[in-house]
Amino acid sequence: MAQRFDEKNEGEIKELEELEIDLLLEGIYRYYGYDFRNYTRPFIRRRIWHRINAEKLNGVLALQEKVLYQPSTMNKLFSDFSIHVTEMFRDPTFFKTFRRKIVPLLKDYPVIRIWHAGCSTGEEVYSMAILLYEEGLYDKTRIYATDLNENFLQIAKEGLLSIDRMKLYTKNYIEAGGTRSFSEYYTCRDKKVTFDSFLGKNIVFAQHNLATDESFNEFHLIICRNVMIYFNKTLQNRVHQLFYESLSPNGFLGLGKKEHIQFTIHNKCYEEIDKDERLYRKKR
Amino acid sequence: MKFNTKLYLGFGSKLFLMLLFMGIVIICLKDLNGSMDFVQKRYEYVKFATMIRNETSNLDRRLVNLVFSETDENSQQMIQSIRESEIRATEAVNNLGEILYIEKVQELHEKLKLLHKEYIYIENEVIRLVQAGKKEEASKLMLSNALITRLQLFETIDEMNKVQEQLMADSFTRFQNTYSLSEKVINMMLIGFLIIGIFIILWIMKSIIRRLEQVTTVITSVDPCNVDHLPRIKVTTKDQIGEIAYAFNNMAQALEVQAQNEKTLKQSMLEKSWLDEKLSEITMIYQGVSELETLVKLFINKITTIVGAEFAVFYIKEDDKNCLKKLVAYADREQEVGSNSIKFGEGLVGQCAIEKRSISLTNVPNNYIKITSGLGYASPNSIILLPVEFEGEVIAVLELASFEDFSAIQRHLLEQVTKNLGTTLNSIKGQMKVKQLLEESQTLTEELQAQSEELMSQQEELKSTNEELEQQYKESEKKTKELKNIKEELEEKAREVALSSQYKSEFLANMSHELRTPLNSLLILASLLSENKENNLTKDQIEFANTIYSSGQDLLELINDILDLSKVESGKMEIYCEKVDLKDIARFSERNFLPLAEKKGLKFNIQFDNDVPDSIYTDKQRLQQILKNLLSNAFKFTGEGRVILHIRYAKKEVYTKYSNLNYTNAILAISVKDTGIGIPKEKQSIIFDAFKQADGTTSRNFGGTGLGLSICREMAHLLGGFIEIESEEGKGSIFTLYLPVYDQSAKEQLFLSGKEVATGYEETYQANESTCEIDYDEKIENEMEERSLEKNVLPQDNKVLIVDDDMRNVFALTTALESNGINTLFAENGKEGINVLMENPDINIVLMDIMMPDMDGYEAIRAIREIPEYDSLPIIALTAKAMKNDRAKCLDVGASDYISKPVNLDKLLSLIQVWMYK
Repeated sequence: MAQRFDEKNEGEIKELEELEIDLLLEGIYRYYGYDFRNYTRPFIRRRIWHRINAEKLNGVLALQEKVLYQPSTMNKLFSDFSIHVTEMFRDPTFFKTFRRKIVPLLKDYPVIRIWHAGCSTGEEVYSMAILLYEEGLYDKTRIYATDLNENFLQIAKEGLLSIDRMKLYTKNYIEAGGTRSFSEYYTCRDKKVTFDSFLGKNIVFAQHNLATDESFNEFHLIICRNVMIYFNKTLQNRVHQLFYESLSPNGFLGLGKKEHIQFTIHNKCYEEIDKDERLYRKKR
Repeated sequence: MKFNTKLYLGFGSKLFLMLLFMGIVIICLKDLNGSMDFVQKRYEYVKFATMIRNETSNLDRRLVNLVFSETDENSQQMIQSIRESEIRATEAVNNLGEILYIEKVQELHEKLKLLHKEYIYIENEVIRLVQAGKKEEASKLMLSNALITRLQLFETIDEMNKVQEQLMADSFTRFQNTYSLSEKVINMMLIGFLIIGIFIILWIMKSIIRRLEQVTTVITSVDPCNVDHLPRIKVTTKDQIGEIAYAFNNMAQALEVQAQNEKTLKQSMLEKSWLDEKLSEITMIYQGVSELETLVKLFINKITTIVGAEFAVFYIKEDDKNCLKKLVAYADREQEVGSNSIKFGEGLVGQCAIEKRSISLTNVPNNYIKITSGLGYASPNSIILLPVEFEGEVIAVLELASFEDFSAIQRHLLEQVTKNLGTTLNSIKGQMKVKQLLEESQTLTEELQAQSEELMSQQEELKSTNEELEQQYKESEKKTKELKNIKEELEEKAREVALSSQYKSEFLANMSHELRTPLNSLLILASLLSENKENNLTKDQIEFANTIYSSGQDLLELINDILDLSKVESGKMEIYCEKVDLKDIARFSERNFLPLAEKKGLKFNIQFDNDVPDSIYTDKQRLQQILKNLLSNAFKFTGEGRVILHIRYAKKEVYTKYSNLNYTNAILAISVKDTGIGIPKEKQSIIFDAFKQADGTTSRNFGGTGLGLSICREMAHLLGGFIEIESEEGKGSIFTLYLPVYDQSAKEQLFLSGKEVATGYEETYQANESTCEIDYDEKIENEMEERSLEKNVLPQDNKVLIVDDDMRNVFALTTALESNGINTLFAENGKEGINVLMENPDINIVLMDIMMPDMDGYEAIRAIREIPEYDSLPIIALTAKAMKNDRAKCLDVGASDYISKPVNLDKLLSLIQVWMYK
């Protein structure tokens, strides 16, 4: 590898690497249909190199070849690109604030449609289901939980939880203002924790690609937390446009703790419900 | 004459005349008053003179009374009153003397005094005479002396009065004269003063009024509407009026100047308000603009209209470069208006930037630039360049072109506007920078979040890998443990087996011994019987006795073999190493088997290789026994042909093949080769087992116990060697005994190798056993799996403490948990619960009821949490209350979780699993 780069200085190598990554992503998009071209570059670069190292390859080009010719490698790279970090009642204050500020507004709706974009393995979707159940809204609610990665969706559908995190989840549940006992919602058999089936009855899990797919319904609430942090400005704006189109008038939007609507083109289309918890409401 | 001097003079002279007049009046009055004094004295004089006259009269009368009174009764009283009158008269005389100042009168008064004294004397004489009772004398005296004296006295007084009256008349006349004189003088003076006063007043009034009128006329002629030009007063005198006039003139002058100033001021105010208005208009457009270009565009549109320019270009300094870049143009014709980039100092724009001052051009040449419209074009007349500064640095340059010249006010406006613009531009730049930074920071925050998630995810991956590894490790550990257990069990079993085998062997050895004794007797007796020494037995009976004997013999042989085998197996066989001459061995074989060979018609050869040593160290007896066994076998199973005993060194393959035995020495091979029935391949492995022969029928054909080869193999092992078989069915067999050739002092080595062999043997045995063991384990596991399908499998060695005072609940929970394989302990209240907990530190989880007597759940949980080793022990509160507050309270005091009563067992089990998970 060093030999290959002997003739090039560092800047040129960087430039070439960028080009290679562009080509790889373009290739993936053209061949497999997954569009990672507008994911943040540093993230993609790190994941690509992670895969390169794991495959013991010597560069992006080699990975490109392998990815294009071996779908199994593509699957691995795809897994590398889909980060699933989630937990039940992640950022409990978000759920607490949601309960306090948004639930009272939702009570009057005859039907509540929620889109949870980027639901990963579904923990937060079930959290929302529990919350709405406790607030007596769940029966009229339908949650559309989507993610790019179907493997995650499979796990989510089964409602499986890892037992080692249950203590954390119990803590989060309490901090999120749960009004019952968290244990009412799960059953533990043979070290496997599963959600009680009634929680899943109003949840639709489906694959959806925020980078390429379009709106599929009108929603009263869209939750998309810690997804757009992987997107660059262009894709963020696209997704915001998508959400804006998909929200009903006065619909709610919930973002991740570190995400902000301020610098997007839709800045002026929303009013803040809670600044810290990134809860917004679409202006009519 | 000065005005005040005039006034001083006028009023002063009047005052002086008044004082003069008043002085004269006072003098006149004083004169009159002197006359009055005279009258006063005169009055006193009259008063005293009259008093002297009266008192003297009184005195005289009383004296007369005294003298002529008949009785003496009142004399004393009378004397008394006489004395009083006397004193009064004397007093009056004296007083009169004091007020007299005219000489003539004083002389008269002296006379009077003398007369008075004389009279007093007479009087006293009279009184004395009266008292003496000489009344007549007294009366005589009275009538003579007293009368005369009295009359004289009266005369003197009258004389004095006459003088006085004369004086009185004189002074009255004088007074009359003085008074009339005074009257005349006063009247004259009054008239004179009046005339003088009137003159003075007239003079002053006239002079003042005339001058004042002059001034007033000028002042009233002032037109309030026209203060630009005011009339002036001619100053003729230097008095106050002159000063007033002068002051008025000054004031008029000042007013004119003021009016002029006011006019100018008004003009400038108008300009200023226009400026302000325009400035504020321009400032207004800055509001809410956050983009530099938008701002400048708005600005340039505005300013161009305001100053009536037709062309405008705005250059902005590029960051960190001394270079100006065209940002916005007004009435732009695409590229044509203004250059795109200008260096500092380049052209007028650059010059303007360097000099930091505005540059204006008038009468611009015709071909300088064209201002176009749809209809035509023309050149501007005037061009102005203005620097936009911020904190002394030029940050932009504005250039304007107009058909008209720029007026001063327009220039002023431009300068003002550019001044403000500098600050605004800078603040917008700052805002943009802040916005950009914010945006960057947001991006960074998101990036950070992404990274942290990525890390978490990687961590997750690592964790799962780790878990897998741990799982594998655990499994391997478990396997190792199992293996170890199995090994231990096997060892135990082996020991047991060895022990039982030893028991067996010992038993066999003992039994064989015990058997041999009666068998010997039996044999001896049978032998004795068959000899039939007394000849009393039939032939048949002898035959029976022989049969008994031969059977007994067989039995004995068998017993001996068993004894040997059991000895070997129980380790009782002892090895005695000695130097064994191989020729001796050959001779022993020959001696024993040659007769048999001859009898069966077989050839028996003994071959020695040349290199074979003469002797080796080994147990001779055992070696002989092995050979004897092998040879007897060979002869037994060989119908025809030959048997060869071949002594040589082992071939090289043997060394490698059995290298595991670690033979460092040479190996001697002693082969017994026959041409007998042979042993089929599949049977070759079993022939060494005890009581086994190649064919179940063999023993019937060939006899023998089937123990021989077993014994041989054991013995070969004991000697550090082994036996190998090569055989082909129907063609014969070769049994080869391999023996290591030890040195002289090989006794120990031999012993050791013997041991090793024994161990090896044991291991094989165990290996066979372990297969069974594993099968057994698998079976258990299967069973367990089956069970797990039915019920929740909870972690091993779990212990749950139930603290509840409701026995039904305790019973229900205990039963349910126990049936799920959970060990339970229970306590009736908090205190007891803590005690139980202290006694059983291995408790994994506590189920704590809240409402209990003695010490309730809250207190108990709090107390448990205070014990350091239990601060993370899972405690699940059982609460019958559904209120959120109660749950919060549970958690506040330190419960890990809560579950509502009545408890759903499934949920409870799930909960327990979650909290027991480590």
